[in-house]
Amino acid sequence: MADAPADARPGPAGTPALAIRDVRKLYGDLEAIRSVSLDVADGEFVSLLGPSGCGKSTLLMIVAGLGRASGGTVAIHGEPVTGPRRDTGVVFQSPVLLPWRSVLDNVLLPIEFQGLSRQTYEPRARDLLRMARIDQFADALPHQLSGGMKQRAAICRALVHEPGLLLMDEPFSALDAITRDEMGVELLRLWQTFRKTVVFVTHSIREAAFLSDRVLVMGRRPATIVEEVAIDLPRPRQIAMTEDEAFNRHVRRLRRAIEANHG
Amino acid sequence: MAEPSSSRRAGSAGTAAVVWPVAVTVGLLAGWELIVRALGVRPIILPAPSEIVRVMIARHEVLLDNLWPSLTLTVLGFLLSVVGGVAVALLITYSRIFRLGFYPIIVVSQVVPKVSIAPLFIVWFGTGLVSNLMLAFLVAFFPMTINAVMGFGSTDGDIQKMARAFMGSPAQIFWKIRLPNAMPHIFAGMKISITLAIIGVIVSEFVASQEGIGYLIKLSSGLLDTPLMMAAITVLSLAGLALYGLIALAERRAVYWQPPADVGAGGG
Ligand SMILES: Nc1ncnc2c1ncn2[C@@H]1O[C@H](COP(=O)(O)OP(=O)(O)O)[C@@H](O)[C@H]1O
Ligand SMILES: [Mg+2]
Repeated sequence: MADAPADARPGPAGTPALAIRDVRKLYGDLEAIRSVSLDVADGEFVSLLGPSGCGKSTLLMIVAGLGRASGGTVAIHGEPVTGPRRDTGVVFQSPVLLPWRSVLDNVLLPIEFQGLSRQTYEPRARDLLRMARIDQFADALPHQLSGGMKQRAAICRALVHEPGLLLMDEPFSALDAITRDEMGVELLRLWQTFRKTVVFVTHSIREAAFLSDRVLVMGRRPATIVEEVAIDLPRPRQIAMTEDEAFNRHVRRLRRAIEANHG
Repeated sequence: MAEPSSSRRAGSAGTAAVVWPVAVTVGLLAGWELIVRALGVRPIILPAPSEIVRVMIARHEVLLDNLWPSLTLTVLGFLLSVVGGVAVALLITYSRIFRLGFYPIIVVSQVVPKVSIAPLFIVWFGTGLVSNLMLAFLVAFFPMTINAVMGFGSTDGDIQKMARAFMGSPAQIFWKIRLPNAMPHIFAGMKISITLAIIGVIVSEFVASQEGIGYLIKLSSGLLDTPLMMAAITVLSLAGLALYGLIALAERRAVYWQPPADVGAGGG
């Protein structure tokens, strides 16, 4: 399978995969986001970390083209975001699979919506299911799957149309702790293969530290980015690494940043 | 790797759900038979089940001759109500003016006992099939519409967000998401509508008709032929049960992804 998707071609030298400039958001009188600016490089795995209600989803939905900013701009590979785009894939907190469609047909939904050839993409969808280790459930209905397996299917759906940018809004927060750790490892394995740019929203410090190249800590509402921590742990990452002092140093630093701004 | 969730329904519970109602029905019929025989109740007051069955067999021709027109009208009225109800539900779902202007009227008009309009229909359409069909349609139409509106409106917000994120057009979202999502509600509406369509037909046959089970019931009542009346009622009930069963069967096939749910809004 082609590694670099057509629309993830590096733009003019230095154009980031995602550029957020002074984005603000008001819900009526409620100021959800004061000002957020942020660049994400091609192939980078970035997490937005902050407690619930701080504006993470609001920001991510603006990037996904599902919500409008009250000010500022978002550009993907230099193109301003004005609505949902073909080159983004989104994973939500709940799997939102259609209960009447088989797992495979759920994964192919973006292909149908975008008028692409089902025949062309079906092998890719099956490859994705295999990599997510749920290929034996391709023809099953969603209600036959466990929560973790449903979320794997949702990730496959977000990747099937070869987006250059993957947006994930607390995708594992509804899962139990053990499944959650496994899903992190699996996600990194997929990411290692595809090297998409990922923006991952979470309120779990450990999860952010384990997955990311870089973690952005968001302050309490109205949101701003209060701290940026590069996670220089080697890849591929293993669960065992969460025992290491290097990992825990990052976790402590992130926790201090959160406590300083939310305490 | 996690195990698939166990969502099999217990087979023994399914068997119990059949055995108990059947046992109780048989018990009630047996009790009825025994009491009528023991007390020597005259058939004109209350015929025994065995007597009703005897009449059903002996007079099957007159029963069937009157069943077909009622059945045809019921099915036609029902089909009209499904087509009309879904069409109006679509207007209500997609047109703001319809939703604001007409939907409240439709909801409020639920309170009007539609069968009371039967004599008015006779003034308008005469004593004929058109009148009967209109009444069957009218009583079946409202619950169908309301259930379909609920169905089209019941797509959850996350699913709509997902559909927009993956660039579904409004038409695609309708065919691939809203319509299948509405199917359980539409079937719930159909189950209510079919029983109401039967009521509509029978009432209009009571009021003015020269044929049909409603006519036969009224006629045998006038002749004090209670066994024939009970036979007609039994045939009607069996036909109603069969129609309901057909819809339930279709529902099982069409809504294969979930157990049949009682999501219906009542009406009448
Ligand atoms: N549609 C909305 N209308 C009004 N307020 C909203 C809406 N969506 C979110 N908010 C508010 O904006 C703030 C940020 O919400 P959200 O982005 O969902 O936070 P997070 O994802 O970090 O938990 C919260 O206080 C929330 O109540
Ligand atoms: Mg959120």
